[in-house]
Amino acid sequence: MGSNAHTRWWADGPIGYIELDNPPMNVLSDDNRRGIREALTEFGQTGARAVVLTGAGERAFCGGADLKEEEELTAETVGTFLQRGDETFRALREYDQPIVAAVNGWAMGGGLVLALWCDVRVGSTRAKLGAVGVKVGLMASNVQLSRLLFEGRARDLLLTGRTVEAEEAHQLGLLSSVVTPEALMDEATAWARDIAARPPDVVAALKRAVNAALDPVAAEPRR
Amino acid sequence: MEIVEAAGISVAVVAGACVGSDFERALEVDLRIAGDGARFSTAGVADPVACGVRLARLLLVTRVVPGAALGDAAMALAGQLRALPPLALAAVRDAVRAVRDLTPEAALTLEHRHIRRLIATQDHRAAVAAFFARREPAFTGE
Repeated sequence: MGSNAHTRWWADGPIGYIELDNPPMNVLSDDNRRGIREALTEFGQTGARAVVLTGAGERAFCGGADLKEEEELTAETVGTFLQRGDETFRALREYDQPIVAAVNGWAMGGGLVLALWCDVRVGSTRAKLGAVGVKVGLMASNVQLSRLLFEGRARDLLLTGRTVEAEEAHQLGLLSSVVTPEALMDEATAWARDIAARPPDVVAALKRAVNAALDPVAAEPRR
Repeated sequence: MEIVEAAGISVAVVAGACVGSDFERALEVDLRIAGDGARFSTAGVADPVACGVRLARLLLVTRVVPGAALGDAAMALAGQLRALPPLALAAVRDAVRAVRDLTPEAALTLEHRHIRRLIATQDHRAAVAAFFARREPAFTGE
């Protein structure tokens, strides 16, 4: 159990919970990035068998980079900024038990990246996904969307930055299920409990295997 | 089939039969939208193997719309693309083309290289300023 200014984490039996709380849009702060890493380290030590990651409130799961923070970046500091983001995403990916994202509202830009590095995503009917990087003259989610979707679909979302509502996200497979906002945490907990009931060594091996399978170096098209 | 160019992104707009060289061209563009009356066939393509490889990766059609709405949908998509900052759009197009052939670490490195360059562009600053001022940004491609 722990917290910092923008993050809370706690355990309930074999399930660990992490909540991002940086209202109104839960933009990703240093406290969030640090909080996620600290929580996962703690859950690793206490042996949490699955983790649920969500955003506080009803508006957003995570609004992505804080544009105010980002506005102040210079050529010298941008590298550190990107690296801190990567360390957080890597912590999700390399945590040896599955992480369920409970997408309660907007997941955009870096917030979408966060959700996409989780192993399972469930959403409320208020979930909205946006690879909005291109709209602010940047890019984000390129690597993760290209892993999870056919290239044609990934291009559609990345090149337009358009909003994907919960139902379409479900059809695309980006959300595994969609429930009412009131039912979301129960749904995420049910997925997590289901996973936690399986042999942890097998689950960990499967998580590693799926990650490895999604990351092939594609062969050059042969002619 | 018609190929629409918008902001450097090529979109295949397919209303009816799309076969042979049209089919091959459709697989080479960035986005493909089709009317619900569109029909695709590999018949008559010059390089079936290359087509097969592209098909396996791509998913043939990005979006399907009712045939009568195809023209409007193509215009709307082109408008959407033209309203985006051109440098970022080109970077995303290049990165998404490259990512399948890279390891995850190399793909992230490439993404970071693009971000470092884009973060210094006027268009990025204009987008952030417009966001805080709650207005639509105007992009110059610089």
